[in-house]
Amino acid sequence: MKLNKNYVLRPVADTWVVLPLGAEAINFNGMLTLNESGVLLWRALEKGGDLEALADALMAEYIVDRKDALADAEAFLEKLRKVGCVE
Amino acid sequence: MLARVADLLVDIPDLGDMASRCKDYIYQGEGGADVIIRTELLQRDVPEGLTEEQNIYLLSGWYFYGGLLKHSGMMLHASAVEYEGKAYLFSAPSGTGKSTHTRIWQKEFGDAARVFNDDKPALRYLDGTWYAYGTPWCGKDGININMKVPLAGICFLKQAPHNSICRLSHQEAVSRIISQTLRAFSRVSDMDLMLKHLDSLVRDIPVFELENRPEPEAARLSYETMRRAAEELGL
Repeated sequence: MKLNKNYVLRPVADTWVVLPLGAEAINFNGMLTLNESGVLLWRALEKGGDLEALADALMAEYIVDRKDALADAEAFLEKLRKVGCVE
Repeated sequence: MLARVADLLVDIPDLGDMASRCKDYIYQGEGGADVIIRTELLQRDVPEGLTEEQNIYLLSGWYFYGGLLKHSGMMLHASAVEYEGKAYLFSAPSGTGKSTHTRIWQKEFGDAARVFNDDKPALRYLDGTWYAYGTPWCGKDGININMKVPLAGICFLKQAPHNSICRLSHQEAVSRIISQTLRAFSRVSDMDLMLKHLDSLVRDIPVFELENRPEPEAARLSYETMRRAAEELGL
């Protein structure tokens, strides 16, 4: 699972946004705003993590059981797939 | 030709119909341009469905608003109305009623409500204040007045069978504004400039969403709400 390097994560005001760069931006059909847990998962993806690693990251930071962590991580990945920033 | 737009000296090639579009902005003096729009950049291939004049108009606007980023400013796709010395911006995707809403303001508040940019007001942060400006890039009807107005608020419009307004969180405001401003950058540094201005904009200026029907009550609601919020913030 790879993050599309044409998408960058940036803080703005008290939130975080994911925006496309370059040619990717021409077909801009979605930008994302991420909250804290989203940023955590994005960072885990940047490090090359898979679904399990993402769930691990959530469990390290939040009180959540593995089943929910996996579900949250999967939902997050789906959001990213829709916009096109995960391959 | 030199034009003065958004308190910046802009070098605009005299191509297409730009001379007539810029007539209220022409700068007679001399000076180093803050933004230079290069002739060859406007002479690119004309896309399907556009005339050469339209292409020149659109590209020159793109380069102006890109250059604006380096001068504490950014563009918002909105219809901007001045009333009681303050600018109120109404934004939405194309065709969802920006101009309709500001026209209702004009009907409701009379000649005192002036639309000074019906498509792409320039926003700039100068000396602690956000200003909205008329520019030559103001939409197909060319509705613009060369004015500089302190910004009081930004409102995103949504068609609905009722009228109601709510204040947007920073997260929502950021998301909406990005969708209605220049956001296709090849350089990360330009993107970061836009985000830097956006950060400042949403912290300083109240942003709303108005669900509305195209009727006078909607204008009264947006005006009352935005004016009150601006007063509370000392804008």
